[in-house]
Amino acid sequence: MRKRTLRRGLTAFWWFTLAFLYLPLAVVVLFSFNASNSAASFTGISLRWYYRLLGNEEILSAFANSMVLAIVSSVIALVIGCLIGYGMYRHRHRKLGWLIVLIYLPIVLPDIVFGISEMAFFVQVHRLTGLLQPGLPTMIIAHVTFQIPFVALIIYSRFVGLDPTLFEAAKDLYATPAKRVVHFMLPTIKPALISAFFLSFTLSIDDFVISFFTAGPESATLPIYIWGAIKKGVSPEINAIATLMIGAVAIAAIISLVFSRRRPA
Amino acid sequence: MSYAGVIPSARSRGMVRESRHLLFTVAPGATWILVFLVLPSAYLMGVAFMTNGPYGLPEMPLSLESFKRLAGFGFLGWSPGNLYTLLRSLWQTLVSTGLVVLVAYPIAYYITTCREKWRPILLLLVVVPSWTNQVIRTFGWMNLLAPGTPLSELAEALGLISANMGLYPSNFAVTLGLVYNFLPFMVLPLYAAFEKLDTAQVEAAQDLYASPVRAFWHAVFPQTLPGLLAGIVLVAIPAFGMYVIPELLGGGKGMMLGNLVANQFAGGSNWPLGAAGAILMLLATFVGLFVMRRIGKRLGGGEEVVI
Amino acid sequence: MTDTLTADVADTRMVRSATVESAREASSIEMQRLHKRFGRDTVALDGVDLTIRAGEFFTLLGPSGCGKTTLLRILAGLEEADDGRLAIGGRDVTEVPPHRRSVNTVFQSYALFPHLSVRENLAFGLKMRGMPPEEREARVAKIAEFIQLGDLVDRRVDQLSGGQRQRIALARALVNEPDVLLLDEPLSALDAGLRSQLQVELLRVQKRLGMTFVFVTHDQQEAMVMSDRIAVLNGGVIQQVGPPREVYEHPVNAFVARFMGHDNLYPVTARSGSRLSTPLGELTAEQPGKGGLLLIRPETLDLLPGEVAGDNHLPATVAERLYRGSHAEYRLEVGETTLQATVNNRGRQLPERGDRVTVTVAPGDLVTLSE
Repeated sequence: MRKRTLRRGLTAFWWFTLAFLYLPLAVVVLFSFNASNSAASFTGISLRWYYRLLGNEEILSAFANSMVLAIVSSVIALVIGCLIGYGMYRHRHRKLGWLIVLIYLPIVLPDIVFGISEMAFFVQVHRLTGLLQPGLPTMIIAHVTFQIPFVALIIYSRFVGLDPTLFEAAKDLYATPAKRVVHFMLPTIKPALISAFFLSFTLSIDDFVISFFTAGPESATLPIYIWGAIKKGVSPEINAIATLMIGAVAIAAIISLVFSRRRPA
Repeated sequence: MSYAGVIPSARSRGMVRESRHLLFTVAPGATWILVFLVLPSAYLMGVAFMTNGPYGLPEMPLSLESFKRLAGFGFLGWSPGNLYTLLRSLWQTLVSTGLVVLVAYPIAYYITTCREKWRPILLLLVVVPSWTNQVIRTFGWMNLLAPGTPLSELAEALGLISANMGLYPSNFAVTLGLVYNFLPFMVLPLYAAFEKLDTAQVEAAQDLYASPVRAFWHAVFPQTLPGLLAGIVLVAIPAFGMYVIPELLGGGKGMMLGNLVANQFAGGSNWPLGAAGAILMLLATFVGLFVMRRIGKRLGGGEEVVI
Repeated sequence: MTDTLTADVADTRMVRSATVESAREASSIEMQRLHKRFGRDTVALDGVDLTIRAGEFFTLLGPSGCGKTTLLRILAGLEEADDGRLAIGGRDVTEVPPHRRSVNTVFQSYALFPHLSVRENLAFGLKMRGMPPEEREARVAKIAEFIQLGDLVDRRVDQLSGGQRQRIALARALVNEPDVLLLDEPLSALDAGLRSQLQVELLRVQKRLGMTFVFVTHDQQEAMVMSDRIAVLNGGVIQQVGPPREVYEHPVNAFVARFMGHDNLYPVTARSGSRLSTPLGELTAEQPGKGGLLLIRPETLDLLPGEVAGDNHLPATVAERLYRGSHAEYRLEVGETTLQATVNNRGRQLPERGDRVTVTVAPGDLVTLSE
């Protein structure tokens, strides 16, 4: 009897929490279809804010910047992180404490410290050498830095889950080092590669603080644009662009989940 | 075994090959993190000990000026503003972490009581909002808490806020935003802990202790402690350095350490002061990690806290 | 599965020429002073000299940690010896990497590639060596027929049972027609029934192909069933090399004797000619040798009811009897000493627990060995 009451209470609490989690997103999505530009009352369904997005060059260029940043940084992080992940696996019996610390550093460092360190560094390097002017390249560098650990850990855990004799079987079956990479390692870790790419991509799209501090005047991404728009005074267009981003990230995240689930146990 | 003394060439050749392999795979990433994170952080720490120049950029000579400023000593004598900001950061961190625990604990437990095939989906439902951009999520709360919205009007009717003020900007809005933002980070490790729960121990405890409260306290709670500690690490450390949420939901009186630091680099332009704040944040991070690890090792029954 | 393998000689030749295109001669293996250490102190191999003949089914037998797997890995090229030479088919391969050795391994865990189908697994080695696809397909089809894989080739690896995986792993190695096939405890993960079935199958495959097989096991029964010759290893040193009967009936030392399953070992306290004094009493041995330990194999003993006097007749009491149907195993007490005996069940009366009996042994069955 008492158990059932507890269970009912828990279920109610669950739905309440779920409402709490989705309410802010639902409001954004709902008001993106609002016919009026009021933030307080919903007056009817309209797509006018979406049409207005298409004519806003700032938003389009911010979208392009976000995509370039996310794709380029994810690709670079995938290559570098993959190598580290494999190195950590292959040499897991050695003492690699320093490497673990180095890899966890970007994860534990508070965003803001991460962002301003890079900013201060890039500004100084630029002053002294003329290189690394704040802009997309510096943002890519910063994003790769926080993506590497995630890629490395995903790849590492995939390798750890494999039967170690598979590597020997590949050698035994006449695969040269290069062929082992192409015909054995890459196909075997393919699901992990895909989910690592999508995670990197999501992390990049999701990031605001680090992008904000490493961006140049021409390289605003969508979150930076939204931030600026909020600061200037809320415009209903933000709801529309935010809704699109919510949709895109949800899709990317679900794809990543599907691929990570397909891994054999 | 006269052989034992010989150092065979095949051995050393193999070791050289392995070392070269380690270098080849690990060096690009390690160098990247060293050059683009460790070096900048080291530079930032150096900046904290420099003097603020006329354009907000750090200059020689070295001084402890910025730490004094951080503690509130300025040109016009001592003012409590910075100290308030620090205390507010600490307070917000404690309150929001506590609230997150209170919400996440039953939620994580609830998920483990559901059917096995539903659990990943329920977990996903909790996590998905955190995959959207932080600025957008916070913007959603701005929409919800603005003056004239149902929530604000409800609060007004209850006499919690004065007319037409809205629930934001306020410290309450910041706390709410923090709880919202970090809830999934607590649910995940707690869920993992609940899932590993040794039910035999719980049943034994139900036999031994008549009251369910005591059974919970002696059998369930200790087993979930490692997950709880991991969750606290994942919530409290980033909460302490939070920038976006207080900036958007807090207004001038809701500022936290993150805003103080960021403002020195964006608007206020006093790099050394900002760097000193960053050092404080780093210290808090590493002390927090260290303490949690120690507690985790002592209480977690040998099981280490994640991270 | 096994009866279809019973093919006549002509058929065997056909299969062999079909499978082994170049009709390559089987290869011998020559090992000289092989040494291997792990870390500072762990000596895995301590100077192994061994010759394995072409076409031989050769078994490396020993307890875990004796170095047998290390030796196999050195043959495969997966491990490099610290010192010593290794030649396969007369060619020095000491420093040749595994992918350039004509040697294939059947791994204990089978190590089938999870990202590939069974067919792709079978073709992997051929593909890596750059064989054109049509030829590859033909070879895979032939080996699948030879190992009787049937429709298994179209399955996914995770749909296979343990026994099926084992046979795929065997086929994946054999399809490359290596000079030498290495088998690392390939049957240890299987249950007893399947295991003995696959032992027979493996043996027939080897005899039909005439390929050199090097087999690693810790199971002395398995070693005796399968092998032409056995090498018993302990502590990185070869203790004895010989055909199964020789190793079983004439172990050179106490370690080999115990490892082959012998318990009846007694110190020789004194000797005069062929008369040996042991804790059991005085015994006569035909060829006593010089060793300080007397080995009495349980199956050479006979039990007579009651007390019978005579040479090599020992009075004993039955302390325990395990009835096994075809035979019975006895634990006997001879004075203070225990003695194991195995007696075939030929319908005679089998003495029971507590019975007084006389144990007899032929002088020709007694051997001594060193400690």
